[in-house]
Amino acid sequence: MKKLLVFICPLVLAIIQLSWPPALSVFNVKPDLLFAFSVSLVFYLDFRIILAAAVFSGLLKDAFLPQALAVNTLLFAVWSYLAYRICSQVSTENNYIRASVVLILALLNNAATGVYLIKTGSIIPAGIFLRSLVLASLYTVLAAPLMFKLIKKISA
Amino acid sequence: MFKLSRKTITSLFLVAFLVLLVHFFSPFFKNSAQGTLKPHLVLINLIKRELSGMIFYHRNMMDSGRLRYENENLRRRLFDLREVEQENLRLKNLLNFKQRSPYRLVPARVIARSPDSWSSSVIIDKGRYSGIRRGMAVVNTQGLIGRVAETSVSLSKVLLINDPSQGVSSIVQSSRQEGLVNGSLGSNLIMRYLPDEAQIAPGDTIITSELSQVYPKGLLVGTVINVGKEFSGLSRYAMVKPAAELSSVEEVLVIIP
Repeated sequence: MKKLLVFICPLVLAIIQLSWPPALSVFNVKPDLLFAFSVSLVFYLDFRIILAAAVFSGLLKDAFLPQALAVNTLLFAVWSYLAYRICSQVSTENNYIRASVVLILALLNNAATGVYLIKTGSIIPAGIFLRSLVLASLYTVLAAPLMFKLIKKISA
Repeated sequence: MFKLSRKTITSLFLVAFLVLLVHFFSPFFKNSAQGTLKPHLVLINLIKRELSGMIFYHRNMMDSGRLRYENENLRRRLFDLREVEQENLRLKNLLNFKQRSPYRLVPARVIARSPDSWSSSVIIDKGRYSGIRRGMAVVNTQGLIGRVAETSVSLSKVLLINDPSQGVSSIVQSSRQEGLVNGSLGSNLIMRYLPDEAQIAPGDTIITSELSQVYPKGLLVGTVINVGKEFSGLSRYAMVKPAAELSSVEEVLVIIP
């Protein structure tokens, strides 16, 4: 049941993320709930489940993006592994430390996505690049405490 | 000497295999994921619309009054324009102008928006079954929206014109000056490659050019709000406000050539 819930949650979060009301977007930026969920899993569950859920969340996100390459599937798996390694080195008992880990990884994820888009020929002005990078990461971290509570309930 | 253990080599092979597997299977997963989530997205979209109708009741009532007044005025204007149209048709026939065949428009509803902040796209509830194909232009009553980037049987992904990977070959309606309108993820578009002597000023209307391979000629793109010089100093650029409200688009029309 626990494993099933770990895979049902990304489906629900994908629906929320896809129908996120424009009124709640800040400068066209919305929180990445799927990313917050897949990274937050690291603090509570076994690595094999984490990796599978991260790949599933990435696939779900890629399914609704116009890019041909499944970038998020690969990135989510990498960030989950990185978060797992960080957790094995640093104590992540406190929610503030967990949120900091999510923030660092969200910044890395957004930077990687932005650089990938620029490398594929998209023209993004520097100001908008920085705005999207910082705001999207901060907005994602705001959703992280909710993810911690949700996953804590699932893992209990 | 840099040595790799057997375990590391196996892990690297596994990762490479996983990457290939993901790349190979993601299109199959895409179709099934879209098909599974479509009914839920349609339902949530319906609830969202009804709720916003109730929450913004007063604003909608004021809008309704204003639109009714505007509708009456437009009806009157339409009646006058019909006369002009008839006259135009007669003159065109006289000049043996080849009539351009009218486009077929497929109306569709936006059911989801881009799940990340690095692209600007929407998902519409019509796909290949309705005759929609990749590359078709998408408009609404206000102006150009974007183009179809991907289609499945009953869904299509539309890349909006403010997506950074988009470029629309356009002209200034009054001076016929050509340029390329790019998206930038922001609320405005950037018209690039304008020569130094280009006749362009704030308030000018930008429409699609006939050089565009994707968009039909003459679709309204937006209005110039600011003109500046490129960093290189060799050309100018113009900030263009899109004619369509891209952040809250709900209904679109797909142009089938």
